[in-house]
Amino acid sequence: MGRQVAIASAGFSEHASKRSDVSMPELAQEAIEDCLKKVPSVEFDDINAYVNGNMPAFEGSNLPELWMTDWMGARNKPLMRVTTGGTTGGSVAIAGYYTVTAELPGIDTVLAVAFEQQSQGDTSVGLASVAYGEISILNNLGIPYDQLNRLLSAGAAIGVAAYQATTYMNKCRITEEDLARVVVQNRRNAAKTWWAHLKMPNLTIEDVLDTPYVQYPLRYGMVCPASDGCCAMLFTTEEKAKDMCDIPVYVNGVASVANETAVLGYDGGGSAQVDPSVQLGAMKSAELAYGQAGISFPRKEIDYAEVYAPFPNQELMWVEKLGLFEETTAPEMYETGVTARDGELPVNCSGGVNSTNAIGASAMERPATAALQIMGKASNQVPKTVHTAIGSGWGGSLNFITLLAMSDEPRRRFT
Amino acid sequence: MDKVGIVGYNQVKLYSDANYGRYEMIFEAVRGAIDNAGLKKKDITTVISATNDYYDGRTISNCFTVEVGGGYLADESKVEMDGAHAMLYGMMRILSGNHKLAVIWGGSMPSCYPYHSTRLYETDPTWERPNGYVNDITASGFQMRAYMDKYNLQTEDIAKVAVKNRRNAAKNPLALDEAQNPDITTKDVLESEIYSDPVTELMVGQPCDGVAAVLLAPERQALKITDKPVWITGVGYNQETYYIGERELHTSNSMEASAKMAYGMANINDPVNEIDIAELHETCAHEELIFAESLGLAEKGKGPEISSEINGDLPINPSGGALGGNPPCAAGLIRVIEAVKQIRGEAGTYQVNGAKRAIASGQIGMCAQNNIVYVLEGGE
Amino acid sequence: MSKQTQRKSLDYVKKQYKRTRTMPASWYLSSYNYKYNITHFQPFLEKLKEKKLIANQCSSCNRVFYPPRFVCGKCLVKPDRWVDIRETASVATYVIAYLKDEEGNVQEKPMVLVNHDGADTCSIAMLEPGVDVKDTYIKMPIKAHWKEETEGGLMDIEYYDVMEDDAEDLE
Repeated sequence: MGRQVAIASAGFSEHASKRSDVSMPELAQEAIEDCLKKVPSVEFDDINAYVNGNMPAFEGSNLPELWMTDWMGARNKPLMRVTTGGTTGGSVAIAGYYTVTAELPGIDTVLAVAFEQQSQGDTSVGLASVAYGEISILNNLGIPYDQLNRLLSAGAAIGVAAYQATTYMNKCRITEEDLARVVVQNRRNAAKTWWAHLKMPNLTIEDVLDTPYVQYPLRYGMVCPASDGCCAMLFTTEEKAKDMCDIPVYVNGVASVANETAVLGYDGGGSAQVDPSVQLGAMKSAELAYGQAGISFPRKEIDYAEVYAPFPNQELMWVEKLGLFEETTAPEMYETGVTARDGELPVNCSGGVNSTNAIGASAMERPATAALQIMGKASNQVPKTVHTAIGSGWGGSLNFITLLAMSDEPRRRFT
Repeated sequence: MDKVGIVGYNQVKLYSDANYGRYEMIFEAVRGAIDNAGLKKKDITTVISATNDYYDGRTISNCFTVEVGGGYLADESKVEMDGAHAMLYGMMRILSGNHKLAVIWGGSMPSCYPYHSTRLYETDPTWERPNGYVNDITASGFQMRAYMDKYNLQTEDIAKVAVKNRRNAAKNPLALDEAQNPDITTKDVLESEIYSDPVTELMVGQPCDGVAAVLLAPERQALKITDKPVWITGVGYNQETYYIGERELHTSNSMEASAKMAYGMANINDPVNEIDIAELHETCAHEELIFAESLGLAEKGKGPEISSEINGDLPINPSGGALGGNPPCAAGLIRVIEAVKQIRGEAGTYQVNGAKRAIASGQIGMCAQNNIVYVLEGGE
Repeated sequence: MSKQTQRKSLDYVKKQYKRTRTMPASWYLSSYNYKYNITHFQPFLEKLKEKKLIANQCSSCNRVFYPPRFVCGKCLVKPDRWVDIRETASVATYVIAYLKDEEGNVQEKPMVLVNHDGADTCSIAMLEPGVDVKDTYIKMPIKAHWKEETEGGLMDIEYYDVMEDDAEDLE
């Protein structure tokens, strides 16, 4: 049951806060062209199936993959749509993997496309409407609208991140300077990545701390932007990948695990996660993915990590939860340069989500960049040779984590 | 292809204005499916849901349904198409060898919002949406006119399909109350309110509240869980081009391509004689005829001549089809469940005798732009 | 992220894109009626009127849910027992939102998640009006302050009073 899956190529479109020069299908086409440019032997007829995803609330178009059929080259071909909110990109990549490994006759090469054009809609309405159903219940039961408005106005995702920040800071005693240091590293890395959004080559810690608060303890300078952009990845079988590219990247482990609802709870029930920095979902995802990939000691075996972290405190939290560093030692790793581009375990050399956040696409850009680093074709390529890498994604209210573990050798175990 | 078995299912009764909340419906469907199969929550390894943000009025519509859908600390994902497509993803997960039991659930509650207006958001915002001429009802009007024109058929032929399905729905206890019309005639159908000529009200499946759930398992586990597993022996899915003006509306190219893929996997060369029943997801009555022809169950233009009654040669939609109640995102999954019931002999008053091999289909998009077809086999 | 959060003070390398056609449109969320069921809340609301707190408990994992919950996610069953719960609680986490009020001034609006003693979940609440949220810390003890006239709604607990903390190692 199942077979090895390899990533042959990955491509991006240019990201910006307003891509007003293209419509959604044209944006997707840019990324697909960039992806196929790297594998010149692949024609559109060689692509057997498609997987597509984005968060539809932001553009005002339901089921946009129907509209962009011809732009993707998907006319009269199998197509599946997968969306899971903030982790859409990761879920699309995982669906691409499953489509190939299922060994359905005639489906060997799959193109996965994840995109978002947030400037087309009102992002705060799109984000706030996640919780409209539950807010209206609490309102009906007596909590005044003013109190609920505070929860909504700050945006659902940032609220959750701020809660994680306070509990994490309580455990690890980090300061705002530690958070700013993470931001500076990310934005300087983004300056060397051609497709990133916030390119700030000369950013310093003082610049970041000089901005006002959004939600304590996060400041404006630490928050991720809202970008338009698209990402595409090409999944195929082991044999075909060897013809397409020099170094095929094998997907060895995937997982996407959700915990119970945080912050609001469903049906007025309140949050089940009393301590959001525990992150049961992340730990279980890591356990499943590393188990499939045969990784027993993540700290030693993983050479590069792209961790999804729109806010700097989350980056510190997840590099620990995903098993890369010991608990409470993450701030020290950033201070001593272990996670820098030329360090032992580089993290987020593309700038991470902190510099570019096209919500539908960002969870796919993480494994895509990690795969390109293994292939040696990334925009901000690290000097050491990367053999094993991971790319993760995170979804808002649930702490839903997607994780892909990749390597240049097929290590997936089959029962 | 390795065998994947359907080991359990459950569906809530369809209501046009249910007295429940969303989470209760989902819990009833999923918990009922697990209890009927005799399994426990900790056996679940993956959950795939099928909901749509616009139909639910909230972004990330599966966000708060993790607990009620059985997804706590389980590998979870969501397919934003018909429930039948969610089953496809669940099947891929089982075939990969990573999972041992998949729960698929899907559904929505259109009593909360104006469903047909929401379909407008599927139209192209640059050309089609500003003039507002294309929505799902007018698109089906175009399709019905093209089909009748090409093969010289009359509206009576289409109305007969609506009559057959609504009479079948009267025997199905879970179908929508308003769609259970045991004494309906073609005259009633043709004289009902005109939605968009030539489509009339009784030819369209009414959107209603409903959730359905299905359980999948690989071969070895399926044989341990139940002694009547139904095997998925073939699947095909395909999407054709978007703009209505560029498509051939009198036939369904995507259904033909899906059928070719599914029949190839299941080794079917003569569909008319090898298939016992078909459960097709038709949002309007004429789609059943178009799909039957594209699936090879009749020659082109001869759709109305298939004897598709429950006691006919090739029963189509013995449960009433989507005309018996169309819950968006669940209808395709319910067609699979009805086919499974027929094969297992649990269909009650509308059971077709000796059904061993069935087709079930689902669709999404205007005029069925994306179709999926399953070939199901079982029974002894 | 809303437009409020885009950087105005930090420079970044920015590229302008030439604008092509635009079309106006809207997503009319106001036409949605959200349906939900609160029968699992009814006993709780009735007791609130009497100024007593109860919570429900799942008998297979023994977790206590306050406010009452419809389904226990871990076990996929409905909680079936009702238990009494104390009025004392502790702060699980807190956050300060900076929002503009009607005049356009940026104001601090604190929010806390409180975890009642004996319960395994937390809910949103407000603290006493005079307390500065920056003085709060995780696990600070607090107590429910009832409204004078209870109506059987969630606002019967008007806010939480800060209590004396007699734990030993306090920084």
